[in-house]
Amino acid sequence: MHRGRAFRPFTARGRGVVAAILLTFALFSAISVFLTISATGRSQHRAAVVEVAARQRTLAERYVKEVLLARSGAQADPTYTAAILTRSAHALLDGGTAPAVNGDDDETKLSAASGTIVRAQLNQERRLVTDLTATGSALLAHRPVTTIPLTAHERVAIVDPVGRLRVLSELTANVSLNAARSIATRADANISSLITLQVALGVAGLLMSLLLAFALIAATRRQTAHFRSLVTSSTDLVLVFGPGGCRYVSQSVTDMLGRPERDMLGHGFARCVHPDDRVSVQAASAHGEPHQIVFRLLDKFGEWRHLEANVTNLRNDRRVRGVVLNARDITERVQLEEELTHQAFHDGLTGLANRALFRDRLDQAVARSERSLEDLAVLLVDLDGFKQVNDGLGHDAGDHLLQQVAARFAEVIRPSDTLARLGGDEFALLLEGANESGAVVAARRLLECLSESVDIAGRRLALGTSIGIVLHPGGPGESEDLIRHADLAMYAAKGAGRGRYEVFRHEMAREFGELLGLEHELRLGLEQGEFSVHYQPEIDVDTHSIVGVEALVRWNSPTRGEVPPLRFIPIAEATGLIMPLGEFVLGEACRQTAQWCREGLLPDPFVTWVNLSGKQLSHGGVSELVQNALEAAALAPSMLGLEVTETAIVVGGDAGEQARAALEELHNQGVRIAIDDFGTGFSSLGHLRRFPVDMIKVDRSFVQGVEHDTKDAAITANLTSLAHALGLTAIAEGIESEGQLASVRELGCDLAQGYLFARPMPAEKMAELLADDADSRSAEGFRASA
Amino acid sequence: MTERDFHISAPKQVSSNIVRLSVHNRGPDAHELIVVRAQNAHLPLRPDGSTVDEEALERATVGVLEPGAPGSVRQLLLHLPPGRYVLICNMSGHFLGGMHTELVVQ
Repeated sequence: MHRGRAFRPFTARGRGVVAAILLTFALFSAISVFLTISATGRSQHRAAVVEVAARQRTLAERYVKEVLLARSGAQADPTYTAAILTRSAHALLDGGTAPAVNGDDDETKLSAASGTIVRAQLNQERRLVTDLTATGSALLAHRPVTTIPLTAHERVAIVDPVGRLRVLSELTANVSLNAARSIATRADANISSLITLQVALGVAGLLMSLLLAFALIAATRRQTAHFRSLVTSSTDLVLVFGPGGCRYVSQSVTDMLGRPERDMLGHGFARCVHPDDRVSVQAASAHGEPHQIVFRLLDKFGEWRHLEANVTNLRNDRRVRGVVLNARDITERVQLEEELTHQAFHDGLTGLANRALFRDRLDQAVARSERSLEDLAVLLVDLDGFKQVNDGLGHDAGDHLLQQVAARFAEVIRPSDTLARLGGDEFALLLEGANESGAVVAARRLLECLSESVDIAGRRLALGTSIGIVLHPGGPGESEDLIRHADLAMYAAKGAGRGRYEVFRHEMAREFGELLGLEHELRLGLEQGEFSVHYQPEIDVDTHSIVGVEALVRWNSPTRGEVPPLRFIPIAEATGLIMPLGEFVLGEACRQTAQWCREGLLPDPFVTWVNLSGKQLSHGGVSELVQNALEAAALAPSMLGLEVTETAIVVGGDAGEQARAALEELHNQGVRIAIDDFGTGFSSLGHLRRFPVDMIKVDRSFVQGVEHDTKDAAITANLTSLAHALGLTAIAEGIESEGQLASVRELGCDLAQGYLFARPMPAEKMAELLADDADSRSAEGFRASA
Repeated sequence: MTERDFHISAPKQVSSNIVRLSVHNRGPDAHELIVVRAQNAHLPLRPDGSTVDEEALERATVGVLEPGAPGSVRQLLLHLPPGRYVLICNMSGHFLGGMHTELVVQ
């Protein structure tokens, strides 16, 4: 497999070129210095040669003078000069030491002459010196000079020895001068050559250096282009900062922001940075610290882009001289985080804060309140009847309702308040700086904003809410306690009749604690059979005979003793324990009635009435439950009556329809139906017409005043008339005196029930009463037949 | 013609009035050439006794070539009326050393 060289950008190429340039300079400098030294040495030598050659002319003339002086008897030593002339001529031609002239100069070492012309001239000079000195010697020795052979090819026609000597001297001087000139000319030529060579070397070195420099520039450009390409094609964002602000931004930055480079360079960069991030960006770009920063830049669309940058301080790097930010665009990640955070802290259905965010805000508010001692209030809002909407119209309608409610709530709160949906139909409102009056004002606004009905699934629904308010007076506190207390206050509001608000009082907490204990014991009591059924007779107001009983559940707690139904029935309803409890009462009542029937204690007709709670009705399966109880007890359906409250049958939607159908089915089988506490609820005549009702029970609140209160009497009379008009039986509850009995009889009630006749009693006692009643009926019958 | 140390070689006689002298210096020394109309080589000397008195011969001088380096070849074109001429090198001592020759133009 082919393996390319590892990518090492420009590690060697640039250095190689620089080294080549330096080597070229070194080589050319060395050659130049060598040539200069060499040429200088040669020039010095040639100067010495020229000096010696030129000296020959003077020596030749001096020799002639000394010969003439010596010949005339004067003190002169021409032989010394002749020797110097001769030795110098030899040294000039073949090399050696040119002797010194006394009092004039020093000995001069010479090398052999070079050059054809120079050597020919020096050779000629040497011959002329020979001829001159030979002629001089002959003249001094008084010998004839014409006989001396001339070696230099001169043809001196002069016979006068002195004239002949002078001509030879002139020739010697002349050729010496010419030789010196030739040597000097050669030296000049050498220097000219050297200068030419130096210039050529300089030009060659310069050209080569320029060539290498161009190569270096080209390599550097390639490097720069390569790195620029790497930087510009990278998705990472590169910014360089110097003393004058931003010095460089990579193309990826301009691409990302859609802004031109000039917008960001210099001090203009700060204008693109989010004001909250300017300090950190300024610190990082000026000092190189912190090493990591996250900041925002404004793009051309006016949106903030989030950048995460590594900061590198390269101010001491002479190639950069700045602080480098290598950044990544993390906008999408930040937006996703924000979205996830929003989802984690907001309710997806209504867009309001969720429980977690509310709890967090509350924690913070409590912490602030602890420091500032400022009031705060928490409102817990629960919709009344939401379950019926959800069950009756479906969950989509329920969701729509919650959205509309949330929107209405949001319109009436302050921007500084925190509105949250805690779950289901439960909302919460946090009011910082609000005292009791402020919280009450807010609660009223919430109640009022729902006073207008809501359009859901094509129906107009009237909604109510129950609001619990808790106040925190400032100082230390616990969020958990506030929510729990608001919850208690809300339940108190519900218990007090719904559609209202209650401010938390500490008594509520005590009551609630008791309720919790009661629930636990209730559950235990059901398991351990602590419940029993008591019966209260219903009397025919005319005959005073027993025509039925109402089965009433009793709880004899081992710890609490007899617990009143009003105490534990709401808890059983709230906790769902009403289902097994109701099933127990129904089964036991049927079983007991069947037993009495078998024992012949019951008149005909006789109905045992069992209370059916709204929860049981809305839960469904009532029909099967009742039929199973009847079958288990082998009781005729006509001997069983079911008492339902008005509120249990006014539920609309599917649940209401389902309950109506179940009651109708049972009614068709013979089971009797009665409306309990009639007159206290909101049932209309329409309900009475649609539901299969046999009897209405006039509520004890009217019966108690029937004797003296004309209004109660009028209501009772009207209710009775209404029942009769619809073909129903009317029974008055809570008859405690003969006067009340007389009144209700007079007002037309058919039956009566109350302490005047009997309190609720165990089955055994009831059996005795029934037996007595049977006896009395027998006696009556006997008397009648007699 | 040729100049050497210390001799001039040239034709002794020419028939044309127009004379082109091609002077080749073959000597080691530098030499000049002066053409003087004269009957013979007995020319007047300067007081130094070693060179010909060129000023005295100015009117008779018909051509001059300045000193040429050894090896050089120079041309000298002359219009010479018929007569006798002397060719000399008048560098110091050269004339007396033997550098002269005669030329007859017919």
